[in-house]
Amino acid sequence: MNLTINDRNVAVDDAQIDPGMPLLWVLRDVLQMTGTKYSCGVAACGACTVLIDGAAVRSCVMPVSSLQGKAVRTIEGLVGPGGPHPLQQAWIEHQVPQCGYCQSGMLMAAAALLETNRDPSDADIDAAMTNLCRCGSYPRVRAAIKSAARQLAPRRRAGNR
Amino acid sequence: MKRRSLLLSGAAVGGALLVGWSVMPPRSRLGNAALWPPVPGEVALNGWIKIASDGAVVLAMNRSEMGQGVHTALAMLVAEELDVPLERVRLQQAGYDAIFGSAESFVGFLPFHADDREAGQESLTFRGARWMTLKLARELGINITGGSASVADGWMPLRLAAATARARLLGVASLRWKLPVAELEVRDGVVSHGSGLRAPYGELAAQAALSPPGDVTLKARSAFRVIGHPAQRVDLAGKCDGRAVFGLDVRLPGLVYASILQPPMLGGSFATVDVNAVLQRPGVERVVRLPPLDGASAALAVVGRTTWHAREAARALSVQWRAPPSGPLDSKRIEAALETAARDAAERQGGFSFHSRGDSKSALAAAAKRVEALYRAPYLAHATMEPMNCTARVHEGRVEVWAPTQVPGLARDAAARVAGVKPDAVTVHVTYLGGGFGRRLEVDFIAQAVRVAQETAGRPVQLNWSREEDFTHDFYRPAAAALLRAGLDANGRVTVFDARSAGDALEPRWMQRVLPALSGPFDAPDKTTVEGLYDLPYAIEHQLIAHVSTKSGVPIGNWRSVGHSQNAFFAESFIDELAHAAAVDPLKFRLDLLGHRPRHAAVLTLAAQKAGWGRPLPAGRARGLALHESFGTIVAQVIEVSLADKQPRVHRVVCALDCGVVVHPQGVAQQVESSVVFGLSAALFGRIDIEGGVVKQKNFPDYPMLTLAQTPVIETHTVPSDDAPTGMGEPALPPVAPALANALFALTGRRLRELPLAPLLT
Repeated sequence: MNLTINDRNVAVDDAQIDPGMPLLWVLRDVLQMTGTKYSCGVAACGACTVLIDGAAVRSCVMPVSSLQGKAVRTIEGLVGPGGPHPLQQAWIEHQVPQCGYCQSGMLMAAAALLETNRDPSDADIDAAMTNLCRCGSYPRVRAAIKSAARQLAPRRRAGNR
Repeated sequence: MKRRSLLLSGAAVGGALLVGWSVMPPRSRLGNAALWPPVPGEVALNGWIKIASDGAVVLAMNRSEMGQGVHTALAMLVAEELDVPLERVRLQQAGYDAIFGSAESFVGFLPFHADDREAGQESLTFRGARWMTLKLARELGINITGGSASVADGWMPLRLAAATARARLLGVASLRWKLPVAELEVRDGVVSHGSGLRAPYGELAAQAALSPPGDVTLKARSAFRVIGHPAQRVDLAGKCDGRAVFGLDVRLPGLVYASILQPPMLGGSFATVDVNAVLQRPGVERVVRLPPLDGASAALAVVGRTTWHAREAARALSVQWRAPPSGPLDSKRIEAALETAARDAAERQGGFSFHSRGDSKSALAAAAKRVEALYRAPYLAHATMEPMNCTARVHEGRVEVWAPTQVPGLARDAAARVAGVKPDAVTVHVTYLGGGFGRRLEVDFIAQAVRVAQETAGRPVQLNWSREEDFTHDFYRPAAAALLRAGLDANGRVTVFDARSAGDALEPRWMQRVLPALSGPFDAPDKTTVEGLYDLPYAIEHQLIAHVSTKSGVPIGNWRSVGHSQNAFFAESFIDELAHAAAVDPLKFRLDLLGHRPRHAAVLTLAAQKAGWGRPLPAGRARGLALHESFGTIVAQVIEVSLADKQPRVHRVVCALDCGVVVHPQGVAQQVESSVVFGLSAALFGRIDIEGGVVKQKNFPDYPMLTLAQTPVIETHTVPSDDAPTGMGEPALPPVAPALANALFALTGRRLRELPLAPLLT
């Protein structure tokens, strides 16, 4: 089958997979794209979050067979043509990661949030960011999302300059 | 554990008497250039430091990065003394020489009371025992990233290695230019002289390798340009774009994947297995039977083309399991037995006494007011975000292992044992760790991977545990119970503290699993059972702290902050009870007992000030505080809490601490945030139940952890200090549970004496 991953058409050998196989394992073990992480396998923790047509989806329970014709974006594709995503810059500026294992999923969930909401409130962040982090990066995740949102809001940015 | 433990406790007891041994100098930790495998263009100046031709400093990194920021903090020590920017320090995994072993971690095992080891006032016995332990640990050379000891351990050796390298580089410039060293300056890895002469390190290194270092002096604190200053973690970029390689991200040509299936019942085994149906499945290669290895159960591993193929097949295996010969474990029964053991010990003056002063029995009898309470703590899982895994290749008598491990040398030994080769036939590549928290001090998953790799004809195999396997086959924080008694005099001052706790001793079990060669026939007293209980900072005249070591059969291990994780809850909740019994403000009550402990008093006072202790709060909110020292660091926390729908809502955690010199300020703040979130998860929700031998909590929905929405504001305040750095990865965790319980008492009037707290309020 063919998948669209990070704006590229990717052919996956049908013999390598079975139809019920979740996207997570196709990414990690077939395509060797290991940025997307396994942690729970039951869509509870969000470490495997990717964007499908712009929305945050937990890839550990998303059968690959359902993705024909859809656009998948993974952490490897969060960097845009102009360089790192504002979230990635904010993540570094706020020193968000500790062990870092959950951070791909955190970043993708935050990217999905900012796709639809350029000025998220604390309550919006609370509702969107349900990913688990055992190192307790949460306060920095919140601060970094707000900081990236400011970068993305053109009027504010103009106002600041 | 036993022999080493005895050795160490023997050292502790006999330290002062054995000063004669001091004529033998401790083993140097500088090491020599020959410890490095040669690399063209790089010049080794000692066992830790190389200079690359582009002038970059290459540091032998002996510690594992599991989020605690150790790669950054240790690189900062070296950047400081070599006068290079942090980003010019490159890390290369250290080898297995004894210089890379842990010394300070072992000092942490010594059962000394706070009175003996207070910074600046250390007793002669403690100093002697500490010296001996460091010396012995240097001989043993066991490399452990644990015990919050990495920065404390690297503080002298790494700065000395860097300063020695710098002195040699300066010496070469001095010879070349015929100028005294005192007239030379180093900035950003370039040696220069006021006359305009300049030479980057890269140009001096080859000659420096042949030159003596001359005089080596460490920088004065006032000259620090890196240590104590803001710095960007060295591991950020790869952790923000998916490139960081954790254990599960190792990809090698020909890699196959193996999924483990362990007996659902702890200690169980398999009676019959039908593998045929599974072997018919596409993408499945073989099923390997694993014997019990290094603490793991007997198990089955299914090897397949992808993790998914292997895991689905493992789930489909038809297996009849057998219970352990001793019968199925039951945590309720065990916890009840611990409670009984603690009560019995109190009644009969029982348990192994770790600290005794005065006459607690008579003092209790004579007290004007007595307070008695039983406290309990449950089993806990580590729940690292990256489940257990290891990649291994066994080929032509050599073993290669890629592992997220806190103990690379012990991992190497385990791999060698399983493969039947000498340790030097094994190479361990340490990946990033997706969390450690003590779980990766174990080598069970490494032994399993090597065993499977013996069956894959030289192809590498990645052994992975599902989340369910990870939860149900952990080495849990042991459950514990403590009966605490105290007496107050007529003025409300506490005169006696008597603690009788019960629970499994974990370090002897850990030693049996990971250091079997040093493990002897009987258990030495395990200080971790009472740490944080036997060494309270408070001036209390009569004290007796004793522990009853049990053997429940539940696999137990080191869990972030180890014994402090439950003992701080017991001790600091109980101290709060005493304050209320004396009708004294909990802050004042503690400060009154800390006259002889100015550092503790300063930390507590700072936390109280920053939190606005005593100032009114909005209706429905209350504060609680706790003070606890662990891993050399003194931490006080004030927690603000309210209740919504009978559930605690934590709003703010103010944390003050004294960790000696702060090396990486943001790293310290991160570890406070980390420990507070980890500690709140445990205090509010954490518990592992075992029924019919089976762990009930199998995945995150069964084992709630704090979410972003539930996370309070967390503030970090440090007390300035010139003392050598102490631990930061764990010490901010222990005070969380008691500060929260004390806040909930202030709010509701209910004293909560068991963990977790949230279910008690519904």
